[in-house]
This record gives sequence, C-alpha cells and structure tokens, in this order.
Amino acid sequence: MLKYLLKRFARSILTLFFILTIVFVLVRQMPIEGYFPNFEKMTQSQIENGLHQMGLDQPMVVQLIEFYKGLFHGDLGVSRVYNRGKPVWDILKTKLPLSIQLGSLSIVFSMIVGLPMGILMAKRKGKLPDHIGTAFIVLIQAVPAAVYYLFIQLYGTELMQIKLRFDPADFRSWILPVLSLSLGNIAYYAMWIRRYMVDESTKDYIMLARIKGCSEGRIMFRHIFRNAFVPMAQYLPTSFLNTVVGSIYIESLWSIKGMGGLLVDVIHKQDNNMILGIVLLFACVGILGLMLGDLLMVLFDPRISFSKKGGD
Amino acid sequence: MAHILSVRNLHVQFTLRGRKLHALRGIDLDVEDGESLAIVGESGSGKSVLNKNFIGLLDQNGSVTDGEIRYYGMGDKLRHYPGAGVDENGSYIDLAQFKKNEDWLRIRGSEICMIPQDPMTSLNPLKTIGWQIAEALMLHRGMKGKMAYEETIRILEDVRIDNPKRRYKQYPHELSGGMRQRVVIAIAMACNPRILICDEPTTALDVTIQAQVLHLLRELKEKYNLTIIFITHDLGVVANVADRVAVMYAGDIIEIGLVNEIFYDPRHPYTWALLSSLPQLGHRGEELYAIQGTPPNLFKEVRGDAFAARNPNALVIDSLQQPPYFDITPTHRAKTWLLDERAPKMEAPKQIGKIRSLGHPSAPADAGKEAEHADA
Repeated sequence: MLKYLLKRFARSILTLFFILTIVFVLVRQMPIEGYFPNFEKMTQSQIENGLHQMGLDQPMVVQLIEFYKGLFHGDLGVSRVYNRGKPVWDILKTKLPLSIQLGSLSIVFSMIVGLPMGILMAKRKGKLPDHIGTAFIVLIQAVPAAVYYLFIQLYGTELMQIKLRFDPADFRSWILPVLSLSLGNIAYYAMWIRRYMVDESTKDYIMLARIKGCSEGRIMFRHIFRNAFVPMAQYLPTSFLNTVVGSIYIESLWSIKGMGGLLVDVIHKQDNNMILGIVLLFACVGILGLMLGDLLMVLFDPRISFSKKGGD
Repeated sequence: MAHILSVRNLHVQFTLRGRKLHALRGIDLDVEDGESLAIVGESGSGKSVLNKNFIGLLDQNGSVTDGEIRYYGMGDKLRHYPGAGVDENGSYIDLAQFKKNEDWLRIRGSEICMIPQDPMTSLNPLKTIGWQIAEALMLHRGMKGKMAYEETIRILEDVRIDNPKRRYKQYPHELSGGMRQRVVIAIAMACNPRILICDEPTTALDVTIQAQVLHLLRELKEKYNLTIIFITHDLGVVANVADRVAVMYAGDIIEIGLVNEIFYDPRHPYTWALLSSLPQLGHRGEELYAIQGTPPNLFKEVRGDAFAARNPNALVIDSLQQPPYFDITPTHRAKTWLLDERAPKMEAPKQIGKIRSLGHPSAPADAGKEAEHADA
C-alpha cells in the first residue's frame, strides 16, 4: 500500500512537471503587446526595459529554471497585473476558503438529496417516483445551467427578499448559490446511484440474500446500496474538487469572491505568475481527486488491492 | 413418514407481452419429511418454476392462478402466530396464498432454503464469508458477536472447509468454485431450514467437486434430518442422491416413484425416452438415442397427453384427453393411458432393461464417462 502510494506520488509529481512546463512555454508564446496596456506609445527601449523587469528577455530555459527554483522554495512569484506586487499565493489564499465552503456545502447538500432520490427511484423502478426523478434529471441535463441559475437568482431572491449580491455574513445569502451549484450534482448522483442499484439488484447474490430471509429493506441498504456505492465512490472526490474550483458562472453571477472565473481573468490580463499558480492548484486538485477516488475504491471493494498483483 | 409439503392442483401462469404462458398445469406432489426427492425434466419443463413457488421467488410476471402449497413444517408456531395462508386449525400454511413479501419472511431461510445454481455469483463480492454466514445466524437464530462467530466457525467445519478461522475473514473472490459452493451451503445450513432446495447444485462444478458436494449434502441431510429437493437434469446425480424421483414434462409431473421404480420399471413413454437417451445405453457404432421433436408450446392450451406429439407409439386417446394418474405401486404412479386396462399392452424399449445390468443406480454417473470415451 505504502509502496503504491509512493509510486503514485512520484508519478503525480512528474505529471505536474509536464503540465507546468507546457503551460509555462505556452504563456510565453503570447504576444508581447499584451503585457503593456499602452504598447503603441512605448519606445523600443521602454519595451525592452519592461521585458527585462519581468525577466522575459532571458532565454526560455533560464526562465524555466528560475521558475522551478522559486517553486521549489514554495514561491509562486508575484502578481504583475491582477494585484500588482502581491505574491500569487497570498491572492489565492484569500479566495480559496470561500470556494471550499461553498463547494463543500453544495456537495453535502447534493448527497443528502441526490442519493436518497436515486435510492427511491431504484426501489420504485418504473413507477411514479422513478418517472418524476427521471424527468428532473433530464430537465437538469438538457436545460443549460446558465438558464436555471438565472431563474433561481431572479425569482429566488425576490421570494426570499434578499439582495442579488452574495454576502458571506448573511446565511440566507448562501442558500440560493448552494442550491444552484447543487442541482447538477443532485441529478448526477441520483442518476448513477439509481443505475448502479438497478444493476446490482438483478444479481444472483441478491437472490441468495432474499432466500436467506433478508427483508427488502435490509437487502436494499446492506447489500444493494453498499455495493452500488463502490463505483460511485471513485468519482466523489473529483466531483467534490470540481465543484470547489469550477463554479465560475455561479460565482460571477452572485459576485462571490471565490476562485471561479479567476483563471480566465488572469489569462486575459497575461498575468503569467497568476496563470501558473492557478494551473498548479487545479492540476493538484485533479490529481488528488483521482488519487482519493482510487483510495476510496480500495476502502470499499476488497477485490481491489494495491499491494498484490492479480488475483486467483 | 409425514408430509412436510403438499402441492395440490398448482397452476402457474406467466404473462409475456400480453400472452399467457401456462408454466405449471395442475401439479400434485407430496414431499415427505426427511426424504430426498429429485425433480428431473428437460429445460423448460417447469422444475425451477415449481420450486420457486416454494420460496416466493417467482418472477414478477408470474402468478399462481389456482391450487395450494401446504407447508406442514411449522408446527406450533402457526397456532401462536397466525397470518396469511394459515389454515383454521393452524396445522399448515398455504404458501400459494401469500401476497406480500413480508409473508415470505417467515418461510424463507428458516423453513425452506435454497441453494442457487451458480456458486460463482451467488455470494456478495464485498462481504467476507464470515459476515455472510453470520448474517443468516443473526436473522434466524438471533446470534450476535462472539456467539455468531463461533457458530459460523462450526458451520464452516461442518461443510468441510479447512482452516475456517482464516476463511472467515476471506472474500468470495479468494475462493475456488467448489469452496464457494460450500460457503453457499454453509449459509443455507446457518438458516437451519427444514427443506433445502438444490437447484442444479453441481452443474457449475467439475466432476470431482460434484461428487464431493453431493457427498456433503448427503451427510448434512443425515445429520440435520433435512428434506432435500434436487432440481436436476443429470440422471447420474439422481441415482446418487435421491430416494424418490419426479419426472416433469411440459409443466406437469408425469411420473413419480422410488428411484428404483423409475430407473428399473418406468411406465410413461416420456420416462422411457428420457432413460433411453442415457449415453451408456447406446450401442457402440450406433447413433445415440434422442427424443424427436420439441416440447409443446405452453402459450397454447395442451390437449391430451402433452408428450403425445413426440411419441411415435401414441394412442388415439392421448391426443384427446389428458390421462389421470394410474397407481402402479403405493409409491409409484404415472399419467399415461397405457396403464388403463383397455390400453394395448406396450413394452418399454429394450435398452431400458439394460439399466439393471449397469448395476446400482449410481452406476450411470461413472459409466457415462466410459461411454463418452468409447464414443470418442
């Protein structure tokens, strides 16, 4: 197990290295004009001076080595445009907590609603609850998220008599963004848990459980749900982390000062250090999500093992 | 011996795409307490459907349209806890009356248990062997903790699983097919049933393991005075384990008798044909016997003797009227007009007589292998 994790960790580092290097090279292909807002009026020497200040006049390899040297010491550099002179990490640090809070709440809410909904649908397969649930899932999947986000914001705030702008101090202000953020996940969890449970419920071992004399409730939770949850478990961390960092539209809609939208913003502004800092964060999140997902699988399914190769 | 299960005039129908399939057509069957009964017949003859009625596992689209399934094994429990299907005197419970799943919970496992066909897929892949056996102990004998653990170990020893303490913690995927079949049997034994239904218990296993599993089942039957119903189409298994044999054809039991009576003195033309197709009765160099035609379509109403259409020597009445049971001995009866006193005398095919020369009924299983080699 430990050996596997170390190996996995080493490979993650390698993956990060490739991602960062590629992005590093790519952002340096952007036109020099982008770095200076008043490029047309600048003289050649002013431009060269500016590039020199940013270290962009050096050969790419040297720049890359400098970047990794900094990274090695935990230094992501400073923001150049977005928040001039402020270290990248300090900027991210202020934005992350809000996004994590929002994402966590949304995931918890999605699971509380989505899983029971899927269980109910599986239990009453082909009956009314299943049809209603399916209709909901289809609606959420088919209607572009932006449409119902707007709908919720406009009518929800009116109904609750609150402001359109998000206020972290007012708990009522959290409800609607969390709800908006959750709808997609609710549909996703309900759809998959229903599907996996229906799959499991037709298996032979469920028949044996029935023969044994297990009640339907016991079969549903101790056998079917537990086993159907295994394939779900793998995607939970990824879906959690995606929710934390991927709520771009919702955060801009409610003017929430979180991570969402930040990447697009800094790419427009050609804030190289910010870009790399955010890419690093997202890449770590992605890799961590996959890794946690696999770990959860091992925890839930005895057939999967890190230490041994193959079975019998 | 007393009856433990009495089936009377049982009719089961399935609805398939709006059409009715008459899967069981008036079954009458008495199962004696402590016997081992084999139910044989080709695929689709209704063996499994009949037995699924005993444990409430009929598919959603199937239902009992007529008849009774009286279970006598519960004794005083019925008088104290009446419920669906319990008769006035509390002497039996009619399983055919059950409507809800809850009704079955007092039967399943504790009274009637079943060993499903495929041991490879019948165990929950995510639970340890021990957990799955202990679950049955908890459900039916209220055992928990250390007590359940010790009883589980004892049962594992009972089904001849070596190193039970280690096995307790193992998962199904760590065991071989034969081992898993033993675990399934262990789960059934943990339920402590009166009747054990074995649905083709050996088809998924190789020959040596088959013999071991059959031996084990025989042992357990003696030890716990179990009533065992074997569903099989392997006549070798029948000869090996059964006291009595019921032959099913097209949703009806057409002949039933002691194992010797069925093997040495079969009376129904279908039983003749079935036994004639034993490969060890063939002559070297000649083609093996096969029954011509196909079973009747149960979507249509079957008139007369269901086997008549495939029987080259069928009587005229066979296609007109269904024969009743004719008793041959107190234990042996068959549904064929040949047993009517007005029927012409018809001898069983010559090769049936050769079964006797194969010796003890258990011989076919071994002789079968030799015959295979000879033919190859």
